[in-house]
Amino acid sequence: MTGLLSLRNVSKVFTLGQREIRAVDDVSFDVEEGECLAIVGESGSGKSTIANMILGIYPPSMGTIAWRGDVLPARRELRHRRAIQLVQQNPLSSLNPRRSVGASLRLPLDVHGIGDRSHRADRVGRLLEEVGLPAEFMNRSPAALSGGQRQRVAIARALASESDLVVLDEPTSALDVLVQARVLKLLAELRDKRGLTYVFITHDLSVVRNIADRVAVFEKGCLRELGTTEAIFANPQHAYTRRLIAAVPVVTDAEVALRKRLMENDNAAA
Amino acid sequence: MSAPTLRIADLGLGFRTWAGPVEVLHGISLHINKGERVALVGESGSGKSVTARIVLGLLQELRSARISGTVEFEGRDLDRLSARERHALRGTRMSMIFQDPTSSLNPVYRIAPQFHEVLKRADPAISEAAARDRAAALLSAVAIPEPERALDSYSFQLSGGMNQRVMIAMALANEPALLIADEPGTALDVTVQAQTLALMRDMVEEHHTSVLFISHNLGVVREFADRVYVIYKGRIVEHATAEGLFADPRHPYTRALLSAVPRITGGGIPEIEDVSEDYYQPLVVHEGCGEPEGVA
Repeated sequence: MTGLLSLRNVSKVFTLGQREIRAVDDVSFDVEEGECLAIVGESGSGKSTIANMILGIYPPSMGTIAWRGDVLPARRELRHRRAIQLVQQNPLSSLNPRRSVGASLRLPLDVHGIGDRSHRADRVGRLLEEVGLPAEFMNRSPAALSGGQRQRVAIARALASESDLVVLDEPTSALDVLVQARVLKLLAELRDKRGLTYVFITHDLSVVRNIADRVAVFEKGCLRELGTTEAIFANPQHAYTRRLIAAVPVVTDAEVALRKRLMENDNAAA
Repeated sequence: MSAPTLRIADLGLGFRTWAGPVEVLHGISLHINKGERVALVGESGSGKSVTARIVLGLLQELRSARISGTVEFEGRDLDRLSARERHALRGTRMSMIFQDPTSSLNPVYRIAPQFHEVLKRADPAISEAAARDRAAALLSAVAIPEPERALDSYSFQLSGGMNQRVMIAMALANEPALLIADEPGTALDVTVQAQTLALMRDMVEEHHTSVLFISHNLGVVREFADRVYVIYKGRIVEHATAEGLFADPRHPYTRALLSAVPRITGGGIPEIEDVSEDYYQPLVVHEGCGEPEGVA
């Protein structure tokens, strides 16, 4: 079975002077249509390198990435760029501060030729409403928005090109917990409504538990474990996964009990 | 009974801006006893960090800031101290750890001379060699392998977790009575954050340091603090022991904050208002958690 996106034996090697750094090492996995696949790991685990390769910012050193069964070229075509979009961690630096929100949202419509020229302004307004912002916000600059509102604009921009796959790179780690809950809720709604597929990159496992269908755990560029969210949290196979879960700061006694149980398994196995 | 390490009573803060005055703190009161770890929890813009800056005496030097109320540090009213006396307290009796360790160290100096500067705050006559020995000892106390090599490194050559350990070692170098930690783990990975917090807890327990722990992450607070103040838009809304707060949150805002934290046991993402009139309800103080009566 081939998924929406398949990575086969993908490696990425960066050369720094004399040294070679293997940021991603022989990774294969599929992203199924309509799912939310979480990629978790510490910094330096290769999460963002994988995201950049999926987006086509740089090609893999070895292996292939296929989109709906066809191998993606190193230089992406316009249709690939339209289908795969990105939401970054910090919306303040990913939105152009000199451009109004409306202009930022209109750009993908112009680039990909979506809708009639005369109706694009309306389309921008509808996009804003879809992410829960008033359409008048199109005249504002990103500086005049709060962090949560900016992240909503960034999400609207990723959806403007009618994308199929959205790569979410730590979309809520810069937000307060109340705002985070609402943005996560919005992401889940949009996925249902538009039939989107998410690749959700994060180190926050408590968020993963509540939004992802499947989880891929990375350590030092290698895929350690891939499974459904339930399986990963109920019975993590790899010691590294257990360590990651055990490090999450928690707020309820039930969670403490879960962490304790996982670590006990680990000690018993060791 | 000896005076608490820090006592803040009815602290108000406003800024004069071009658009008129902006009130930031609406009379907050809190105290930290000796050796106690107290957390101040709230979202961004709630007034957590300005409170820390007032305690350090930094905002008093800003001309546009209007400060009312009292801040007492070890029984001394900070208002009655001169700027010079306040300066003498910083880095010796009270110190601070910031959110982003890499940007709080100077990238153009190695760690050793920066550590020397810190130690000179308490002992101006300390020699470079003596400072180096002491710094190495302090770095190994925060579990830095090869402290000598760390001393000869620049901050950008060390990882975020290492830098934060250097910051902890520096902050505790002069045995302060009060440590202010402003979101010390936020910029770090979860595993490194857990290690850093455990280390900080061990260090302050060993030195009987009082800690004002500022955070928006309730999970972290639960692992670290003895007592918690929840702050919302410049008002304290709930004051409880850490145990009491997590077992029985009473203020609507605290409840919202707690339920918004995603659980690793699952359960989905709850529907929560991020703005609500209920969040302005008056302060809830749990049993046995009152403020000490003013004896200034």
